[in-house]
Amino acid sequence: MTMRGWLTRKRVAAKDRLQPSHARPLRDRLSENISELENIFTLTPDLVIRTFESRLVEGTAAIVYLTGLVDKNSINNNVLRPMLERDQGEVGILDLLSVGKVSIAHDFGTIEKEILAGSCILFVEGRNEAFVLETHGWPQRAIEDPQLEASLKGAHQGFVETGIQNIALIRRYLPNRELKIKDFWVGDRGATRVSVMFLHDVVHPEVLQELEDRIKLIRIDSILNTGELGELIEDNPFSPFPQFMMTERPDSAAAHILQGKIAVVVDRSPSVLIGPATFSAFFQSVDDYSTRWLVATFIRFLRGLAFLIATFLPAVYIALISYNYEVIPLDLILSVGESRERVPFPPLIEAMIMELTLEMLREAGVRLPAPIGQTVGIVGGIVIGQAVVQAGIVSNIMVIVVAFTAISSFIIPNYDMASAVRLLRFLMMVLAAMFGIVGIIVGLMGMIGHLIQLESLGVPYGSPLAPVRFSDWKDFMLRLPLWSMRERPAGARVIQSKRQGDNRPRGDGK
Amino acid sequence: MKKYAFNELTIFQYIFLIHGAQVGIGVLSMPRELAEVAGTDGWLSILIGWLAAVAASLLIINIMKRYPGQTIVDLLPLFLGKWLGKAVVVIIAAYCGFASLTVIASTAAIINTWILSQTPAYMVVILLALPTYIVLQGGLRVLGRYSELIFYLTLWMPLVLTTILPHTNWLHLLPIFKEGLGPILTGTKSTILSFLGFELAFFLYPFLQRKQYASLGIIVANTLSMLIFMNITLFSYAFFSPDEILQYTWPTLNLWKVIEYRFLERMDIIFLAFYLFYLSTTSFPYLYFTVFSSSQLFGAADHRKHLGIALLLVIAILWLYTPTFMDLQKWTEWWSYGGLLFGYALPILASVPIWLLRRSVKG
Repeated sequence: MTMRGWLTRKRVAAKDRLQPSHARPLRDRLSENISELENIFTLTPDLVIRTFESRLVEGTAAIVYLTGLVDKNSINNNVLRPMLERDQGEVGILDLLSVGKVSIAHDFGTIEKEILAGSCILFVEGRNEAFVLETHGWPQRAIEDPQLEASLKGAHQGFVETGIQNIALIRRYLPNRELKIKDFWVGDRGATRVSVMFLHDVVHPEVLQELEDRIKLIRIDSILNTGELGELIEDNPFSPFPQFMMTERPDSAAAHILQGKIAVVVDRSPSVLIGPATFSAFFQSVDDYSTRWLVATFIRFLRGLAFLIATFLPAVYIALISYNYEVIPLDLILSVGESRERVPFPPLIEAMIMELTLEMLREAGVRLPAPIGQTVGIVGGIVIGQAVVQAGIVSNIMVIVVAFTAISSFIIPNYDMASAVRLLRFLMMVLAAMFGIVGIIVGLMGMIGHLIQLESLGVPYGSPLAPVRFSDWKDFMLRLPLWSMRERPAGARVIQSKRQGDNRPRGDGK
Repeated sequence: MKKYAFNELTIFQYIFLIHGAQVGIGVLSMPRELAEVAGTDGWLSILIGWLAAVAASLLIINIMKRYPGQTIVDLLPLFLGKWLGKAVVVIIAAYCGFASLTVIASTAAIINTWILSQTPAYMVVILLALPTYIVLQGGLRVLGRYSELIFYLTLWMPLVLTTILPHTNWLHLLPIFKEGLGPILTGTKSTILSFLGFELAFFLYPFLQRKQYASLGIIVANTLSMLIFMNITLFSYAFFSPDEILQYTWPTLNLWKVIEYRFLERMDIIFLAFYLFYLSTTSFPYLYFTVFSSSQLFGAADHRKHLGIALLLVIAILWLYTPTFMDLQKWTEWWSYGGLLFGYALPILASVPIWLLRRSVKG
């Protein structure tokens, strides 16, 4: 194709790629309906079409479902048995089927969608309508402890891969009628149910509208998980920072909804997206609220420190020993120099070797099953750590620096944020190797500048630091006692900010 | 009418924007410059300069109060006619541009002498241009947040400075008025220019959310700057002997050099690196209002293109010509003259007709 042709070619709209939907209405004749279905579902061995004579409807009937997606017990006991039993009085079909949700479909488009979603369809001879029976029973995992966000004292239920169940898990924490859910279908080929959950009297309508608009604009084959949805609706795609919170904990999701944020449950994905997110929220965990506030505050400071160390420590080390060594007192620089005596590489390369090794070990450990994972630890920790120093490739102090960095980056409670920090670390290392301390400060300046203007759903990401909101500092680095946080954080932009009355404990006095 | 509603500033952002623009490159050399003319009475000049700056600031607010919702860029063509007004706007843009150029060049020069002596100046400028673009592309709102955050982030610096208290000798300050009022007033000439930055209120006023605090805010900003100038100057006077202080180009940096810990020497390098934040809050607003004026002149809604061009220009200028310290001193002087016109003369000149007008309306 010539360049010009390539430039002027007609773009194929996403809609054009899709199969036409079968919006044809149902017929009266059962056999016609069945053959139409067989036309739609070709090469579908898991489609079950069971035709039977039913006294109830005085004629032929058929049920159609995809085996594996339905609950067979429910179909056998609640659909087939009443249909096949001999003696019934004068009752309608709907009075007999002991299935919770039954709806009526008139066209093949709906039927196709429902079959694919795991419903069972009941056709009856002589009727141009079909009953859609909710008999979902697809394979699903039991509710387990969350993997990424383990907690000491919090609940031990994590989200699973079924959207409805996840919604239920959140609703258990918030049995309130103001908890509203708006459903959207995202994806044209594999439509995914995306449920937006929020407290109607708290959330700001503009923020909600913004989120809805963005979800509605998505044109895609299918989204497989929450991360993909997040990437399609985030504010700044070029930022290293995660702009939505992904959580696999129902209690965490409920806590955020209570703050006035919006949770998005994506069916088939075990994590829930929460927005608008703020930078500070990534350094908080549910456990902060189940421990005493002094302890929680201490841990939060620890995390802040860990963020700084994980981002800047290797960079500072590089800057100090290759550029600004006059900053370190003589005795100290001598001992550093001694350990670097045999190292042939400049500090940047040395640091890169170790940091990359660390990242590789980490990636290797993530994908391996637990028994082999331990081997990686041993190889990494003992063999590489010890041998590399003895061989004189890397200095002792470098190993210490890298170890500190690694530990610090594990303290950051959110995986996405920890990954962002990993990237920033390399950027800072390069800047430090080029410009020393000045480079680090300029990098910090750029990072601050970026964080300040980043927004999540149009709400400032840097809040409560930028714009400074002192009222939110009660739950920022400090975690003041719960009774002191009477208002919801202003950073979430809510329309109703009162959260509690005066709960300050006063001992046994008044 | 609410042309600038999207970019509203809170009162704190307004205070710290002005304060950030005021405290910058001058602080590093201020104690010496004052000592040269006024000896150890120089700190009194700061007080007088502060009074003058507050007076001028209040005049500016008084003028802008009459036209809320309009910056100086909108007002000038209104009063002076289309072409003359635009010409003056061009001059003001040039003034702001020159100010930011001077600050950036001085920053690069100081970094070059003090920390990165081998790195060519233009490399430092390119490095500095990156965060500048990142911050300024977000507009005034982001700039306001930046200035405020930076103020809090640098609060530790005066605290660390107090560790030199045991080494100070406050007798250096006595006697007060040792050479009479003359030198103090001469010193005022340079201090009223250190307070330059308040003239940005010409631009900032319409963006302010709660305009009733505009006067209070600008007084607070000036006072904060005064306190920082005073802090540094007094410490330098008390630490260095009156003769010694004249020998240092940047006494403020030498002051930090003394602070040492078992694990850390040369605090001045760390201080200077962090001081880049303060320098950035000086150059950013000036550069922003340069591109703000120019994009308003050309009727462009997006200032980012102008910002890119302006930054490339700054880099190109400092690449082709690396200013010496003599040049920089001259540039600062020119900036001062411009500031004298824009910050002091313009409000006074503009106040006269407004005052007359008001009188005639009343009478």
